[in-house]
Amino acid sequence: MVVETGLFALILALFIAAIQAVVPLIGASRGEASWMNVDRPAAAVLFALVTLSFGALMWAHVTSDFSVLNVIQNSHTDKPLLYKITGVWGSHEGSMMLWTFILTLYGMAVAVFGSNLPPGLRARVLSVQAMIAFGFILFILLTSNPFTRVYPPPLNGEGLNPLLQDPGLAFHPPFLYLGYVGFSMAFSFAIAALIDGRVDAAWARWVRPWTLVAWCALTLGVAMGSWWSYYTLGWGGYWAWDPVENASLMPWLAGTALLHSAIVAEKRDTLKAWTIFLAIITFSLSLLGTFLVRSGVLTSVHSFAVDPQRGVFILLLLTLFTGASLFLFALRAPALKAGGLFAPISREGGLLFNNVLLSIAAATILLGTLYPLFVDALGLGKISVGPPYFNTVFVPLMAPMILIMAIGPFLSWRRGDLEGALARLKLTFGVAVVTITVTVLIAGISSRALWASLGFGLAAWLFFGSLAEWSGRVGLFRRSFGDAMHRARHVPRSVYGMTIAHMGLAIVLAGITGSLAWKTEKLQVMRPGDSIMVAGYQIEFTGVDNDVKGPNYTASRATFIARKDGRFVAKMQPERRVYTNPPQDKSTVAIHTNFIDDLYAVFGEPDGKGGFVTHFFLNPLVPWIFFGAVVMVFGGMVSLSDRRHRIGAPIKKTRIASSVAAATAPTAGAAPSIEKKALLRGWIYLLPLLAFIVLAGFFIHRLQLASEGDTPNLIPSVMINKPAPAFNLPPLLADRPGLKTADLKGKVTLVDFFASWCVPCRAEHPVLRLVAQAGIRLVGINYKDKPTDAKAWLAELGDPYQAVASDMHGQTGINFGVYGVPESYLVDKNGVIRFKQTGPLTPEVVRDKLIPLAEKLER
Amino acid sequence: MKLQLVFFAAFAMLLFSATAIRPAAAVEPDEVLTNPALEARARTISSQLRCLVCQNESIDESNAPLAHDLRVLVRKRLLTGDSNEQVKAYIVARYGNYVLLKPPFIVETYILWFGPLILLLSATAAVIFFFRHRAYLPSEPAPLTDDERRNLSDLLDEPDDNMGVG
Repeated sequence: MVVETGLFALILALFIAAIQAVVPLIGASRGEASWMNVDRPAAAVLFALVTLSFGALMWAHVTSDFSVLNVIQNSHTDKPLLYKITGVWGSHEGSMMLWTFILTLYGMAVAVFGSNLPPGLRARVLSVQAMIAFGFILFILLTSNPFTRVYPPPLNGEGLNPLLQDPGLAFHPPFLYLGYVGFSMAFSFAIAALIDGRVDAAWARWVRPWTLVAWCALTLGVAMGSWWSYYTLGWGGYWAWDPVENASLMPWLAGTALLHSAIVAEKRDTLKAWTIFLAIITFSLSLLGTFLVRSGVLTSVHSFAVDPQRGVFILLLLTLFTGASLFLFALRAPALKAGGLFAPISREGGLLFNNVLLSIAAATILLGTLYPLFVDALGLGKISVGPPYFNTVFVPLMAPMILIMAIGPFLSWRRGDLEGALARLKLTFGVAVVTITVTVLIAGISSRALWASLGFGLAAWLFFGSLAEWSGRVGLFRRSFGDAMHRARHVPRSVYGMTIAHMGLAIVLAGITGSLAWKTEKLQVMRPGDSIMVAGYQIEFTGVDNDVKGPNYTASRATFIARKDGRFVAKMQPERRVYTNPPQDKSTVAIHTNFIDDLYAVFGEPDGKGGFVTHFFLNPLVPWIFFGAVVMVFGGMVSLSDRRHRIGAPIKKTRIASSVAAATAPTAGAAPSIEKKALLRGWIYLLPLLAFIVLAGFFIHRLQLASEGDTPNLIPSVMINKPAPAFNLPPLLADRPGLKTADLKGKVTLVDFFASWCVPCRAEHPVLRLVAQAGIRLVGINYKDKPTDAKAWLAELGDPYQAVASDMHGQTGINFGVYGVPESYLVDKNGVIRFKQTGPLTPEVVRDKLIPLAEKLER
Repeated sequence: MKLQLVFFAAFAMLLFSATAIRPAAAVEPDEVLTNPALEARARTISSQLRCLVCQNESIDESNAPLAHDLRVLVRKRLLTGDSNEQVKAYIVARYGNYVLLKPPFIVETYILWFGPLILLLSATAAVIFFFRHRAYLPSEPAPLTDDERRNLSDLLDEPDDNMGVG
């Protein structure tokens, strides 16, 4: 009953969203107050309905209602209550519900806090919000219904992946979504402004707090995900430039740029088209991330339930929202008049510089993430773009940005004094130079030490530069202490927010630098009682408890005592857990932190001789990465608490802002030949739309390939048209010959790699008869198998091969380029490979490809 | 981010039902070379080679059997005196450029490698255009009169009109 209520509420929400999307919009364009005023009640009802629906799903999970498919697939009665709750968004369906819930939460927030917004703007904003909500609710109802019932219900569920049974699941996705979805606010404001054709300082002032909320949430969400991966994955990695990680970094970079360009738009009434553009792009990148993550067009280590059908739907939503908004942008943006003028060296100039670099960084990550897709679509083969690429291009983009970050706040609006700013940074420069020198002195001369010294130097530059800006602002060393403190109290909170957030980034930078430069790793087999040294820590393995019982797992727990200079430092107890539902292993690491470095212990497999694989890391400064991120978020919140940002600030304030904006505006449009130029610029505004259309084309192509069975990790062989590699393998069966390269010549031959442990090989086996019947010589290479198992397998299923050789260590497989059995290679009369089938042969492949090709080659 | 670690479950389990997801270290003690310099090189090379059967992991991070075999192979090649580049070329000859996490500089990747530079140059051009044609700074306007100044500070009842991280 509750479940049906949830589904019914969601269907009802779809209709409310439709009403909220249409009625206020029409009202705003006709100026009918009664139509516009539908917006707030509709947003409230929409929020209530989606909350009800989300609550119903949560109720089904908490009460383990196994008549619901989503609960069966993701829950089990043994699961602790926390994971029954957080498991709601552990599945695709549930996470989309969370997405929609947060979206309507923001809509509700506009309804509650938006009383000071001009009614037309508010109506349009809520209308755009409702369009997004409509799209996603429809998506859930049509492709991802979490309320599907099953009859008869099973006795118990399948359980949740143990990797997700972690407190990280409770916080990381909600904050991430608060960030992603939060940028829909800036997006809706941007669309509303484009429809309205008016962007002024007041508009920017309303957008800033929402962007700031989303930015804080996304920063926290990304940092928590990074931390989760750090303590889960078992090698201390916190960032791998994986597509899914990039999908969260791109909106973050664009959102950070938006945050700063909105300042210029508000204070100086310029960069308006750019700010609107960033608002569109930031939310589009959030949607793009959702698409990349769920459609399976890219492979990621953080795999997800991929489904090309859902991918098509999300692509449709992405195309609608991004395409339509970029079209609107191309139409309206050329008419936006720029306001306040400024010199290149000025506060605005610094913020513009920061914007350019952040945007290029985001675009570069997009390029790198999608490049394999482009190359593949153009038929140029498959390539990978991994961490070495991103590190190579990202660092040179970020380094100058951080250099400027310390200088920018010293420059005044309109026209800044660079010399003066640099003069005030003399001391900071000195500190940075000392930092670099000290790092080199400690670490010695090596490329790694030089990189580390530059990283620390930049971090020190930004950290102390931000401090210097604050002390200069309050006159710490120029005035009496009391006077300075008095001034310090009157510095706006938004300025404190900036200083704190910039210092937070400096801390993150120092943390990343340290962890890259001085990570220590020790891998060995230890027996209870053994001791080893890890980076100055003496670590004693005191024993293993094999009988640890958790709520839904059993575990072996190792105990290590870490000592430094003979003094006790920490007791560390990493575990290897075996979960019952679903039956799966999970290793939990033990971390001891002193807030400067982390001692990180992993307990591995037994070696069968009384020893255990143990793996220790000393991760220097890693805690700073997460601490720095929290400082950044704190800075954002301090800024948000500034009364100028406070949501629902009195109307008087906003009027003043508009009148100030109006006062500065008339300087624009001075150039006489403006129309000709506007026409020229009109084309420039079309470029984003064109780029997006090309991008969408690639995605459609990729999804089409996916529906034809091609996946991104199906790798074409480079061995085609090359001679078969040299090999000479012993026979599997004593009474039959072995196999060597020369044996392949003279007749067209299919070389089939198989193994008894390989499940698809069993499916392929009957198809091999077709090959033999067609007169193609068929030989088998038994890949990394136990001969006894292989013999039993052939005895059971039959032996279609003319010769079977044994490749016990897989070296011949590697020489052929085998990466997953079964794989088969068609070799011509001269011993040249002409065709490769990756995965099991099917009757269709044999009939349509293999046999015609073999006949041609035989001639 | 582990952001969609959320969805790690189904797909990974389906693909690698044989290999339980054991987050314990991929490199095993019996693989490690006794020569620390060679071992360090092996680790560097391994972290730049993509595991073919995994979901976007290097062979250094993966515990798939093929990744293990390739790690051992990398070490074998190093022991026979190959340079880092020769080891990578050896693997590429068998599996193609797909295994290189740092894509090679070839015609197909020109846009990838030059892309950031092209973006930077076009952005610079756009900014120069912006300053040349739109936002030139006219001569300083006349300073405010005392009256205007008083009016302004009445309007702006804040002590310091400076930005924050908005």
